[in-house]
Amino acid sequence: MTRMMEKLSPQTLRILALLAVLLVILLFFSLVIPNYLNGRLFNRISSSVAIMALIATAQTLVIITRNIDLSIGSILGFVAFATGSLVTNNPDLGPVPLVLYSITIGACFGAINGVLVAFVRVPSIIVTLGTMALFRSVLVEYSDAKSITTSNLPQWLVEFPNTVLFSIGQMQFRAAFVAAVIVVLIVHLALTRLNAARKLYAIGSNPEAAEMAGINIHKTVFVAFVLSGALAGLGGFMFLARFGTITVVAGLGFELKSVAASVVGGVNIFGGSGTVIGALIGAILVDVIETSLVRWQLVSEFWREAVLGALILLSVAADAVLMRRFISLRRKRPKSDPIPEKTSVLDGEAR
Amino acid sequence: MGSLKSLSLGAMLMLTCASFAQADAIKLEGGKETNLVLLPKFLGILVFDQANEGAQEAHKELANPGELLFVGPTPENSVAGQIEIMTTSATQGQGAVMLSNNAGDQIVPAAEAAKAAGTKIVTWDSPIPSGNGEDVFVAQVDFGSIGTVMADMAHSILGGKGEMAVLSATPDAANQNAWIASMQEALKGAKYADIKLVDVVYGDDQAEVSYNRALSLVDQHPNLGLIMSPTTVGIQASAKAMQDEGLCDKVKVSGLGLPSEMVSYTMNGCAPEFALWDFRDLGYLTYFTAYGMATGQLKGEIGESFHAGRMGDYTIEADPGREGAKRILMGPFTVYNKGNVEAAAK
Repeated sequence: MTRMMEKLSPQTLRILALLAVLLVILLFFSLVIPNYLNGRLFNRISSSVAIMALIATAQTLVIITRNIDLSIGSILGFVAFATGSLVTNNPDLGPVPLVLYSITIGACFGAINGVLVAFVRVPSIIVTLGTMALFRSVLVEYSDAKSITTSNLPQWLVEFPNTVLFSIGQMQFRAAFVAAVIVVLIVHLALTRLNAARKLYAIGSNPEAAEMAGINIHKTVFVAFVLSGALAGLGGFMFLARFGTITVVAGLGFELKSVAASVVGGVNIFGGSGTVIGALIGAILVDVIETSLVRWQLVSEFWREAVLGALILLSVAADAVLMRRFISLRRKRPKSDPIPEKTSVLDGEAR
Repeated sequence: MGSLKSLSLGAMLMLTCASFAQADAIKLEGGKETNLVLLPKFLGILVFDQANEGAQEAHKELANPGELLFVGPTPENSVAGQIEIMTTSATQGQGAVMLSNNAGDQIVPAAEAAKAAGTKIVTWDSPIPSGNGEDVFVAQVDFGSIGTVMADMAHSILGGKGEMAVLSATPDAANQNAWIASMQEALKGAKYADIKLVDVVYGDDQAEVSYNRALSLVDQHPNLGLIMSPTTVGIQASAKAMQDEGLCDKVKVSGLGLPSEMVSYTMNGCAPEFALWDFRDLGYLTYFTAYGMATGQLKGEIGESFHAGRMGDYTIEADPGREGAKRILMGPFTVYNKGNVEAAAK
């Protein structure tokens, strides 16, 4: 890896490849759908991606450690409902206690996963498959078949996601999207700059070596699940604010969408590598395909899921090919502007 | 024209049934012991809980010493869970299973096995599409008349002229497809000549999918005036989407919705009119039917009439929408608007 390092790290290249795929997809749909490329499209995608960005980030944290969290959708659904019910009964609560409440519940659920995976040592796919059903059942029981309705929520909460912070032309940057991007950036900075966060990568790429290097694997994996739960909790808060009406099906299927977004975004499903920025772009990519397919009249409802799956596979493949091409191109290039070895080593391993 | 004919035929049928009913409606004898199972699509949804309330009311009223179980799958396990509960109910020897079917015809083998074991299968809300394995379907409203009611709401909201689109639940939901087909049929009438149905999309009965689909509809059809959503999830997600994007002046929302979820959108004009039936009544009537069948007081034959407590007399008839199947028609609709929605939401 170090020899290949030049100006750009492989992760940066991967993001460039993803952006290229995104561009191609946008161009393609603009050819087949009338009236496609405009500010409205940006507003649609950015608003709906805000929630997915958070849970893709949550999923990425866990996948990096060579685990998976299938309970994310259930956690998000429960938190959305619990927070909604709290604010319905206490309409005077402000944003800070509500957000803290959401994150705390999410983190508690994440801790349950974390204990079972890290300390009881049950494989994460089994643990979270179980807790996915368990948390959903707790929600069914807790909700008592009632739903949270928009009319019972405070005005500031309902208006928050669509508040336009600033706009560029027709493109509006709304609060929910901006908040989600800020969270993703914070996690990204932590993952690349903090020593503690790099342990996640170390465990994912080689658990035995990580243990020998003195990393407490159990504690670190536990923390990854708690963080994932916390982020899913924050996603639950955003879900509540955006949709207002919460029933027991809230967030159903989000766990697989989050895995899709992460993997499309270049996160290695076997752990050890991947960035949350990639996961964010992956989420955008999946959302663009999904939204655009609805508007593409050629594809009927019954084929849409199949086409979505095929397009996701295609983008992953295209991304991989582009990535390889970039790397081989760089290899051929003479070392005209070398970069000090040290920085690149750090870059490569941290990301 | 076909719809008009079948409608008037239906009306005639109802009239004859009503006159029949007065003549020899069976009065169900209470106090007989039978264990009954009420099986919704899945747990945790308000309308199914309301149906349970209605069934519990009838359970007390008929003083059945047996048990009324309200069991259902969790949302992510709906189809498999329904089949499993159906199978378990048969082995437990339950008197009847009251099923709101979410498993399409996949439930047929389990339902037929249950029937063979002596368990009566009474469907409500959503029937078994082929009618196999089902004794009788308690229909909330006439599936044909839902189309007319939706077409009429569209007519009044659009002022008789404009483009509309449908936002449904899943592409394979039997009741949804029947309703959409009957609305398309109704739209052929001369009164609706200037109303154009431009698209049908599916929101999978999930808030987030429906919300995004509603916005896609607006983007796709610049002249859209109305989104018609015959599902309680879809209608409120559409209304929320239109409100969030400030589109309510241009694009209205209508369909089938719950007053408690729709009240704010009706009052602010996003969803001026929508309709629904009473799920408590549906549960109540379904219980009477299942109790009568399980205790052998009803044979489940066409033309048989019985007295369903506070709701009056009902008759088993051939289901016009499914050949060879039988139904009991509850009806009618309530159409909600600014005038009555607030009272109903409480």
